[in-house]
Amino acid sequence: MANASNEHIVSSYEDELTALTRAISEMGGMVEVAITNATQALIRVDHDLAKQTAKADKAVDDMQRYIDEKAVSMIARRQPMAGDLRHIVSAIHVANDLERIGDIAKNLARRVKHIDSQRVSKQLYNGIRHMSDLALAQIKRSLDSFTLRDANIALDVCRRDDEVDALYISLFREFLTYMMEDPRNITDCTHLLFCAKNLERAGDHATNIAEAAYYLKTGENLYYDIESGKVQLN
Amino acid sequence: MSVATDILHTNVQTGKETIKMSGQKVCVHYGEKQALFDVDLDIVANQVISLIGPSGCGKSTFLRCLNRMNDTIDICNVSGEITLDGQDIYDKAIDVVELRARVGMVFQKPNPFPKSIYENVAYGPRIHGMTRSKDELDELVTSSLRRAGLWQEVKDRLDQPGTSLSGGQQQRLCIARAIATKPEVLLMDEPCSALDPIATAIIEELIDELRENFTIVIVTHSMQQAARVSQKTAFFHLGKLIEEGPTEQIFTNPHHKKTQDYITGRIG
Amino acid sequence: MQIWLTLLAVIVAVGGLYYAGRSRAFAVTNGDATILHSNPAFHGGMVVISGMLPAVFVLLGWTIFSRYFADASVSALLGEEFNALSELEQGAFLRSAFGLSQSQQIGDVSSLQNKAIEGYSAFFASTTLILQLVLAALIVGGGYLAWRQIRTDLRARQFVERAVSFALIAASGVAILTTLGIVLSLIFESINFFQKVPFFEFLFGTHWSPQSAFEGVGSDTAHRNSEVFGAIPIFAGTLLITTIAILVAAPVGLMSAIYLSDYATPNVRAIAKPMLEILAGIPTVVYGFFAALTVAPFLRNSGESIGLSVSSESALAAGLVMGIMIIPFVSSLSDDVINSVPQSLRDGSAGLGATKSETIRRVILPAALPGIVSALMLAISRAIGETMIVVMAAGLSANLTANPLEAVTTVTVQIVTLLVGDQEFDSAKTLAAFALGLVLFCVTLMLNIVALRVIQKYREQYD
Ligand SMILES: Nc1ncnc2c1ncn2[C@@H]1O[C@H](COP(=O)(O)OP(=O)(O)O)[C@@H](O)[C@H]1O
Ligand SMILES: [Mg+2]
Repeated sequence: MANASNEHIVSSYEDELTALTRAISEMGGMVEVAITNATQALIRVDHDLAKQTAKADKAVDDMQRYIDEKAVSMIARRQPMAGDLRHIVSAIHVANDLERIGDIAKNLARRVKHIDSQRVSKQLYNGIRHMSDLALAQIKRSLDSFTLRDANIALDVCRRDDEVDALYISLFREFLTYMMEDPRNITDCTHLLFCAKNLERAGDHATNIAEAAYYLKTGENLYYDIESGKVQLN
Repeated sequence: MSVATDILHTNVQTGKETIKMSGQKVCVHYGEKQALFDVDLDIVANQVISLIGPSGCGKSTFLRCLNRMNDTIDICNVSGEITLDGQDIYDKAIDVVELRARVGMVFQKPNPFPKSIYENVAYGPRIHGMTRSKDELDELVTSSLRRAGLWQEVKDRLDQPGTSLSGGQQQRLCIARAIATKPEVLLMDEPCSALDPIATAIIEELIDELRENFTIVIVTHSMQQAARVSQKTAFFHLGKLIEEGPTEQIFTNPHHKKTQDYITGRIG
Repeated sequence: MQIWLTLLAVIVAVGGLYYAGRSRAFAVTNGDATILHSNPAFHGGMVVISGMLPAVFVLLGWTIFSRYFADASVSALLGEEFNALSELEQGAFLRSAFGLSQSQQIGDVSSLQNKAIEGYSAFFASTTLILQLVLAALIVGGGYLAWRQIRTDLRARQFVERAVSFALIAASGVAILTTLGIVLSLIFESINFFQKVPFFEFLFGTHWSPQSAFEGVGSDTAHRNSEVFGAIPIFAGTLLITTIAILVAAPVGLMSAIYLSDYATPNVRAIAKPMLEILAGIPTVVYGFFAALTVAPFLRNSGESIGLSVSSESALAAGLVMGIMIIPFVSSLSDDVINSVPQSLRDGSAGLGATKSETIRRVILPAALPGIVSALMLAISRAIGETMIVVMAAGLSANLTANPLEAVTTVTVQIVTLLVGDQEFDSAKTLAAFALGLVLFCVTLMLNIVALRVIQKYREQYD
């Protein structure tokens, strides 16, 4: 909390702001677990884990609703200003993105039952695992940038989004090759391709979170700053 | 992206800003005690600028420099330069009486004179001899009350004492009284601090309308009010102007830590 | 010596009752005073009040009525010789005998008187002891009754509270009753006077020379007296002098008040205001000889130099000096009133570009008007009631004139001259003083009522 070294005069307000950040962290943890589990289920073709993961998304949705309500009530009751206002508004954004990542995890888990594991080569799964690890790392770092209010980490996350995109393109080529090799692979490969695409989307949401963190810290729009040359991505 | 940013920034860059009043290195001493330190502040024509800051930081003092109300305090000593349309208002050649007609003032507590509503509004025009006939005066009183949004409520009881109105009406009467002298700048020192939310909203609406014809400087303790009514905001702290800028920026992204701490309610 | 003994007794009684109540309050709690409903001090107070109050009432009653009992017992003692006297003479006889019985030295007295004196002495000697015993019994008994009631939940605090409010009522009652008594005595004595001199002749007669009043009984007494008790000249004189005084005091006082409140620097104010108030502290007799010895000759000389004849005692001299005397009333009160007009009105006016004097003329004075009017009324009452200056500077002759350069006289002066010297208490001359007093009272009352009305009227508008 580099920006707000001083405690708020109204301590209950301070407590609410802290609680909001804590809820975001908690929700981030839930989402990370969901992505990890979904990937595991996909790779190990673990139908139970898949079901469990899909079910767990409900908790993420509830968490988002909770954060929204908290944020709205704080806006109504406290009329937040400046840093506090940005804190609350970006918390709403971040919660929204996290909820979408949660949806992605659910989507991944649901695909498990459509994929015939016997036929798919382990190599393909490796690509998915790699993709998932990269997306998770992005999510983790973006959440770090939010809770630590660190604009540099946020910039870093945005920078690395290209890596995720590049990985997705290469996976896409790979899947295409497999499909051309053996048309029986088409169904499975298409499912896995969607999984990869979803994970790529999760990476995008991570950059959104980083963007929100950047706004929280600096009060500026990250892309406007990039366009105007105030910050450099690479 | 660029469309979005354009939309975002049009509010700030509407046309050319002409500077109505300007303070350069304004210092104020009350006897030994210095109340303002080198304040540089431009007041843009047809805009509302709000002065915020903790009590005793010198907001009223600065405001009172703008129409030389500080002259009425013996121990008060103003240095630096304050201009109105480029002319130094502390110049010897300036007639204070005329200056105050051009830079009107509305106070924290509604202070209608113990006279009828009509006489309250007619007070300024009378002492400045602004009208040639009774009809002209009537016309001026009516139009001032109209512009202050009070006409409908008082048109049938112009001869009743101004003090018989409610607090919010009294404050609008004071605004009508101030605009009857056809000022160019209107100074308001916490004009809503004694009013309920509805009366406050009416005054705020009024301020927004008055902006068309007047330049308004308003001191307020309500962050929300400053955010609602003003285009520019200036933050004072311990007699110094800490930060000044477009209201959106001050309230979403103040550059100075003291400003941030003050408007978010943190101990400075 | 006796008075100190009495005082000591009272102190001992009060202290004893207080101590008894307080210690009893402690006693009933077994040492934990917090469980008491009221503080122990209130219990003490309650016992004191219960003990002393009845005794005080009995004492008051006795003081008022003992004379009747004494008179009755003495006249019963005197018998035939006393009964032969007329009722009026009986009263006078008893009064003088009672007076003599109270004094140490008794000179030559008749045997009857001696008997009466001894009767009084005996009566009071016997009753004093009884009275003292009764009072002591009341104190102890009342205190004991209250003392017995002390319990932890006794509401002694409320009892004391009621006693306090009763005391406050009693205090204001004294003031009201006194006023009422004075007014009633004025009215009754005036009625007496109007039996001797017709009401309208007094009020509207134009000739005032009470020294030539005819004392006696006869059909033409009333007629004769009506000619010498015409009060118009002295009312006119009062009016003239008061008008002159107000004409001096109102502008000067008001302007100095404005100067003090709005123009003077704090330093000047700190010196000038007390100085002005010193004027009010100068004894009026000093003003009087100032008027008679300095102002009157000065007026006379300057009048003569421009060909005016000024009498050596003139209404103008008295009015001028009286005006100066009441300046502090006007200025000091007006200054307070003007100061209490909120600064926000001054700021508001200045903020519209008004100059200081415009602000004062158009805002401050109208706002302060009720207070200024009451200040003026007070000054007028003071001027009407003033005697000394007029006696010394304006003379005693009741001229009916509007010329301020001639000698006139006022109501108060005439009251004084009527009452100095030896005369019968119920002569027309003496009673005329009461009638004048009554008129004076009515006029001042009316002024006050008018002032209150003015204040109320503008209060409604301006507050
Ligand atoms: N008339 C005065 N005499 C002496 N000191 C004053 C006077 N008016 C204001 N001050 C001092 O100047 C400082 C600024 O006051 P002011 O401008 O009224 O503050 P604000 O309006 O921001 O609450 C305060 O410290 C106050 O004590
Ligand atoms: Mg102020």
